Amino acid sequence: MSPDVKILDGNTFVVSDDRGDIEASLTDPTGLFSFDTRYLSKWVLTVDGQRLNPLSVDDLQYFETRFFLVPGTGTVYIDAKLSVIRQRAVGGGFHEELTILNHDEKAVDLEVRMEVGCDFADLFEVKDDLKKKGEYYTRIEDGRLVLGYRRETYVRETWISATAACALDEHGLTFSVHVEPNHEWTTDLHVTLGRGVGGQSIAQPKYERHSKKALPYMERSLEKWLDEAPRLTCDWDPLNRTYQRSLVDLAALRFSPVSLPGHYLPAAGLPWFMTMFGRDSIFTSLQALPFTPELAETTLLALGLWQGSRSDDFRDEDPGRILHELRFGEMTAFEERPHSPYYGSVDATPLYVVLLDEYERWTGDTKLVRNLEQTARRALAWIDDYADLQGNGYIAYKRRNEQSGLENQCWKDSWDSISYRDGRLPGFPRATCELQGYAYDAKMRGARLARKVWHDPAYAQRLEKEAAELKRRFNRDFWVEEGQYYAIALEADGSKVDALASNNGHLLWSGIVDKGKAKAVARHLMSPAMYSGWGVRTLSTDESRYNPIGYHVGTVWPFDSSIVAWGLRRYGFKEEAARIAAGILDAAEFFDGRLPEAFGGYPRELTKYPVQYPTACSPQAWSTGAPLLLLRTMLGLEPIGEHLVVDPALPQGIGRLELLDIPGRWGRVDAFGRGRVDVEKRPRRQSQLGVIEDGGKAAKPRKK
Amino acid sequence: MAEPTRDFFATLAQRHQPLPEGVTGLMRFDLADGERTEHWYLAIRKGEVTVSHQGPDPDCTVSTGLATFEAIVSGKMNAMAAVLRGAVEIQGRFALMTAVQRFFAAPAECAPDEPAAGYARRLS
Repeated sequence: MSPDVKILDGNTFVVSDDRGDIEASLTDPTGLFSFDTRYLSKWVLTVDGQRLNPLSVDDLQYFETRFFLVPGTGTVYIDAKLSVIRQRAVGGGFHEELTILNHDEKAVDLEVRMEVGCDFADLFEVKDDLKKKGEYYTRIEDGRLVLGYRRETYVRETWISATAACALDEHGLTFSVHVEPNHEWTTDLHVTLGRGVGGQSIAQPKYERHSKKALPYMERSLEKWLDEAPRLTCDWDPLNRTYQRSLVDLAALRFSPVSLPGHYLPAAGLPWFMTMFGRDSIFTSLQALPFTPELAETTLLALGLWQGSRSDDFRDEDPGRILHELRFGEMTAFEERPHSPYYGSVDATPLYVVLLDEYERWTGDTKLVRNLEQTARRALAWIDDYADLQGNGYIAYKRRNEQSGLENQCWKDSWDSISYRDGRLPGFPRATCELQGYAYDAKMRGARLARKVWHDPAYAQRLEKEAAELKRRFNRDFWVEEGQYYAIALEADGSKVDALASNNGHLLWSGIVDKGKAKAVARHLMSPAMYSGWGVRTLSTDESRYNPIGYHVGTVWPFDSSIVAWGLRRYGFKEEAARIAAGILDAAEFFDGRLPEAFGGYPRELTKYPVQYPTACSPQAWSTGAPLLLLRTMLGLEPIGEHLVVDPALPQGIGRLELLDIPGRWGRVDAFGRGRVDVEKRPRRQSQLGVIEDGGKAAKPRKK
Repeated sequence: MAEPTRDFFATLAQRHQPLPEGVTGLMRFDLADGERTEHWYLAIRKGEVTVSHQGPDPDCTVSTGLATFEAIVSGKMNAMAAVLRGAVEIQGRFALMTAVQRFFAAPAECAPDEPAAGYARRLS
């Protein structure tokens, strides 16, 4: 099987094999996709009836790639007299420059054929192998081939054309090509979304050949994007690379919501999750706040616009609730899936208020906080009025859409992620612990905004009283006395679901942890059962369901670890936070600076390298955000009043670190630090942060 | 003139709307009923909505059949799904439609807005 090649522009992306060909079946996720719909499922190039053989693939940009090919298939290298170059850029469909070079001394006559087809599958159909209910049609008009699909008023069309002379038929384009010796023949191929969402028509792809202005809206601002981010210099070179990688990946992950054209928020993952997700967009915005605060602004605006307003069981919607996921495909259009949008997430709503406050603390943008006052009040009201499903004063979740809704509505959303120590699974509704922390934090931060921006001290007082009450009860009801940590969840009958999980770190971050309990919690998080040497495991190795490659029951999630580190910092555990940062940043180097969604929970001394959890999405937004948040926690960056306080606690091997031009209400300021935290006694690989060495300048041996 | 549509706009004009303050603009609804098309204008400013039958060029135009619109305002049909299906066409600023869709009724079969027993309430 040929490796996938992916390029993308917003939520439009192409996945092909390494020849540039697309031969998708309904279950095979290759093709041209836009707005969650496949616009091309077949795109196969032949020369004189022969498929081509890949020599190399150049990923030029995240939206552009180039394939070098020769005729003939199979593994035997042939001394080709012809070479073929396909250069493809995605945007409004895609643009492909096809060039054939004749290296022979004789002229050649060739039949070049592009076989095309489209199933107009919804992304959800690609996942679930479902049959189409509408009708297909093809048409040849105005020199273009039109592939279409109609189901009642739902119409989607792909338009295909070429700049060189060709014969069009219902299944493709045929070029009769004559190439002189040492000459080349070339054509541009245009594939566009002839009929898209809302009946919109794109007749021309974004790119034109050799056009300098052909750079897409993302690319035009990529330089500016990098320019505006704080500059990092660090003695430990891997961190410089990881930082650059994170910034570029975050740029690729930017997604412009339909309701706010020209503004960007972080989508969840590339390419299958290039859409607005409440939880992922909020967490990534939080992680990136010291670097690119505009992501938070768009996230708050876009999620605010879609705030729930009614009780809709199919969409698990309530008044005040913040959405989980918005999709645009056929199944959503015909209400066979609830994503128009779907609201089945129980943490996005309190986290929305947390982000709003954190955003104001950094940027001083009180205007946005004023504009979103009613939105924030409704989100806070939702916590008390709609989320207390157990009737005991805690946020809990239980889906109302039993068919296609989400069973687990917290971030650990797999079926077995919430368990007792002995492996039993609790019933529903489930009140997981981190949700109570988020609710507490949302109330405290809501109170701050009420006092400072909304000028409603009575409301602030009420929220603070509720938060204090919640904290008091939580520390009584969730605390596992014999183990000295917080249970992962509470059942409706009050039983503590007593597994030890990384959720404890989120509790530190939220501030709901009693001072007297924090030390025990921190000790657990840094214990060999939780800290693998690379990061904090989602579940302790002492639990029955622990599995080092279980999705939420033993793997290490860089995003999760970054929040845990932030939590440790909040309670003053600077050195522990630095140790986690060191582990995750060491791991990043094994992935060329691009952290995966998760890696195995194996002890570091056992595997020596982090074992990646297989996943379809990379980069993933909140993994991309993890190094950014770790930089913040290591430097101890904290906005206090109008100032940015810097209180570094860096792993020793990092040497000197400078982060310049950090944007915020103070304008731009610089932060400096020097590695002084001895993070690990045991010697390991050279030039990793886990090793004590001077300066740490030696480059780690690279994978490639 | 159809009752659900008139009722919808009448109610919209009466109450203070829970809209984000930053949302500002003019919308026009073109509702086709056979040969005839009804036009409704919504001016949205600082969380307030005013309704009329005429106005200048809008920032966002929503075009659909009157029957479809009635189904939407009464909660029988989801507005966003209808847009994706091509049953409702939007031109111009989508943000305005996103802001206004919150006023369409909940599906009839769903429980009316009955909050769970809130602890804040119980404590007071």
